[in-house]
Amino acid sequence: MIRLEGLAKTFGSFKAVDGVDLDVAPGEIHGFLGPNGAGKTTTIRMIAGLLKPTAGRVTIDGHDLAREPEAAKSALGFIPDRPFLYEKLTAAEFLRFHGGLYGLEGEPVEARARELLELFELLGWKDELVESFSHGMKQRLVMCSAFLHRPKAVVVDEPMVGLDPRGARLIKQVFRVMARKGVAILMSTHTLEVAEEMCDRISIILGGRIIARGTVQELQALAGTDDPQLTPVFLKLTGGSGLQEIDL
Amino acid sequence: MLFGGVGLAVAGTLFAISFWLTWQLLDYEELGDYLLRLGFAWLFLTFLSFVAFSAVVSALSTFFLSEDLRLLLSAPVPSARLFHSRFARTVGQSAWMVVAFLLPVLLGVGLARCAPPAYYVLSVASVVPFVVVPTAMGAVVTLGLVSVFPARRARDVLMLMGLLFAIAIVMLLRFIRPERLLSVQNLPDVTAFFATLQSPVTPFLPSFWAGESLFTALRGGVDLLHLGSLWTTALALTVLARAAYGRHYFAAWSKAQEARKARFTRLSFLEPVVRRLPVPPARAALLVKDLKVFLRDTTQWSQLLLLLALALVYVYNFRVLDLDRLPYMSGVVKNAYAFVNLAMAAFVTSAVAVRFVFPAVSAEGAAFWIVRTAPVRMSSFLWSKLWTGLVPILLLAEALTIVSNHLLGVAPFMKVLGAGAIAFMALALVGLACGMGARHPRFAAENVTQVAGSYGGVAFMVLAVLYIVGMVALLAWPASQYLWHEYRHLPLAPRLRLLMALSIGAAASLSLVTFWRAMSGGVRALQDLE
Repeated sequence: MIRLEGLAKTFGSFKAVDGVDLDVAPGEIHGFLGPNGAGKTTTIRMIAGLLKPTAGRVTIDGHDLAREPEAAKSALGFIPDRPFLYEKLTAAEFLRFHGGLYGLEGEPVEARARELLELFELLGWKDELVESFSHGMKQRLVMCSAFLHRPKAVVVDEPMVGLDPRGARLIKQVFRVMARKGVAILMSTHTLEVAEEMCDRISIILGGRIIARGTVQELQALAGTDDPQLTPVFLKLTGGSGLQEIDL
Repeated sequence: MLFGGVGLAVAGTLFAISFWLTWQLLDYEELGDYLLRLGFAWLFLTFLSFVAFSAVVSALSTFFLSEDLRLLLSAPVPSARLFHSRFARTVGQSAWMVVAFLLPVLLGVGLARCAPPAYYVLSVASVVPFVVVPTAMGAVVTLGLVSVFPARRARDVLMLMGLLFAIAIVMLLRFIRPERLLSVQNLPDVTAFFATLQSPVTPFLPSFWAGESLFTALRGGVDLLHLGSLWTTALALTVLARAAYGRHYFAAWSKAQEARKARFTRLSFLEPVVRRLPVPPARAALLVKDLKVFLRDTTQWSQLLLLLALALVYVYNFRVLDLDRLPYMSGVVKNAYAFVNLAMAAFVTSAVAVRFVFPAVSAEGAAFWIVRTAPVRMSSFLWSKLWTGLVPILLLAEALTIVSNHLLGVAPFMKVLGAGAIAFMALALVGLACGMGARHPRFAAENVTQVAGSYGGVAFMVLAVLYIVGMVALLAWPASQYLWHEYRHLPLAPRLRLLMALSIGAAASLSLVTFWRAMSGGVRALQDLE
C-alpha cells in the first residue's frame, strides 16, 4: 500500500535519506524507528508530499506520488508530529474544510465528522475555535481529519506526543481498528514500548539507511540478544548506549 | 539597507521641512514666534496622545503577553526589577517612533534659529520625561484593562480603537481642506483657523510644558518651571505605576493567562452562499476557510475600515478639485488628470494588493501542511487566493476610477478607456501580488504587516510601480491622439488608428503577461516548496 523504492534526499552535501526501500502492506502497522537525525521525519515528509525526493519513488495505493500526486494523496492520511491548524476555524469547520479538500461535501461529511469527533472525544468542542484547544485536543483533531476521507494508508509522525494516557490508549485502539479494516499504517516513534506493543513489523533507520527490518523477534535475533524488551535491541542495533540518549 | 535608506530619506525630508518652515517664520518676528510655540504645542500634543495609546498596546505585550514572562516570573527576580526592565522596554517600544520623528525636526528648528548648544541638551532633557509621562499612564491603564478583560481581547479592542482614531484624524485633516489657506480670498478665515488651532492647547498638559521648555531653550534661556514639571510628573507617575504593578500585577497576569472560550462570529451564511458558486468542492472549501479566517481576525478585517476611509478621501479630493478656475485649459487638464487618476487608482490597487493579497499565501502559516498534503493542485490553491483578492479589489478599483472620472467630468472616451484599463491593471497587479507572495512567503511571520513589509513586498511594490508607469505610457499616446483629433474635429487616419490599437493592445498584453508570468512563477514556487 505504501511503497518506497530507493528513496533519497540530499540537503546540500548532506544525505538525510540514502536509498530507503520500504513496503507497508494493507492492514499492517509498520513501526519506523531511529535515533534523532536518522532521517525518519524527512522520509515521512517525502511520503506526505511535503518534500521532493532527490531520487527514488513513493507509491501509495499504486499511484506514483510524483506522477499522480492527487490520486496518491487521496489515498493517504497524514498526522504530523506538531498539530498546526487554522486557529480561527472551529473543529467542525476545520473538518468540513478538510473534507472539501478531498472533494467531499454535504451530509456524508457531516455524519463522518460527527462520528470521528465523538470517537476522539471532541464532540462537545465541535463549535469552539481551534485556538482555544490544548495541544492534545489539536492532535486528536488532526487524527479526525486524517481519517475523515477513509484513507487506505496513514502516515503518522510521533503519534503519542502531547497526549495524556487516556488519549494515547484511544489512539492505539483506533490504529488497531483501522489496521483490521485494511488500512496500512506507517508510524514513526521514539516510544519503543508503543512500537513493541502495536507494530507488526519495524524498520530501523540510521544515517539515512534502513539498517534492520522485521518483527520484534526477528530484530532480537538480528541484534543477537534474547532480551524481550525492544529498547536494548534498538540501542544495540543503532550503536548507542542508554547514556548517549540522555543529554546530560 | 533599503529600509535604512528610506528611513534616512524620511529623516532628511523632515529636517529640511522643519528647517525651511522655521527659516520662513523668522521673517515674521512676533507672529513667527507665536506660530512656532503653537507648532511645538501641537506637535507635542499629537505625540502625547500617540505615545499614550502606543504605551497601552505595548504594555499589553511587554507585561502580559510576552513569551518570556513565564520564565521570568518563575525565576527569583524581584518584582520591582521586573517592573523597571519591562517599563523601560515599554517606553522604548511606544516612543521610538516619536523620538525618531522629533530628532530631525528639533535639529532643523534649532539650526534654523541658530540655537545655543544648551538647546540640544535641553531638548533631550525635555523629550525623555515627556515620553515617560504618557507611557506610565498607559501602563497603568493596561493594568486596569487586563484586570477586567482577557489580555488578547483587550488587545483586539485597542487595535480597533486605534484604527478608528487614525481614520478620524485622516478624515478630519482632509475635510478641513487646508488648501483653502493658500487661497487669497479666504484670508479672513485664516485668523479663525488659527483661533481654532489654539483652543486645545492647555497649560496643564505635559505637551505644553515640553513645548514651552524647548521654546525658551531656543532663545537661550532655561524654563525651570516647565522642565521641573515634566521631570517631577514623570518620576511621580513612574513611582505610582510601580506601586500599582507591585500590588496588582501578579493577579492581573494570572488572569491574562486564563483561556476562555473565545467569542466569535459564526458566519454560517457563508457556506450555503459559496456552495451555490459553480466551483469544485476544494475551491469552495478554500474560499470559505479564507473568508472565515480573515473576518474573524480583528487585525485583518479592521484594515478594511482604513481602506474605506482612504477611498472616501480619494474620491473627495476629486470632488473638491477646482479645475474650472482654468477656463481655457480645463478640458485638457481634466483629461490629463484622468491619467493621473488612472495611475493613482492603480497605485491604490497595488497598495491594497500588497496589504491583502501578497500575504495571502504566507497567512497559511504553519498550517499550510494541510493543503500541501491534500489532493489539491497548487495551481488550484493559488487561483483560489487570486479570486478571493481579485473580486473585491477589481470592484474597488473600478469604483474609484469611474466615480472620480465622473466627478472630473472627463471625455466619454477617457471614461471608457479608464474603466477598461483599470480592469486590466487590477488583474495584473493582483496576479503579481499573488504570484510574488507565493514566491516569497514568510510562513513564520507573526502578522501580515510583517509580510507586506518584507523583501518580497517591497520588490512587489517596485515592480508594480514600473508596470503602472509602463501602462500609463502605452495608453497616454493613443488617448492624446484621439483627444487632439477630436478637439480639432479631424478624422483619424486608418494608419494612426492601427497604431493606436497596437499601443492599446500592447498595454493589454503587458497586463496579461505580467499576470500570467507572476501566477505561473508562483505556482512553480509552491510546487517546489520544501
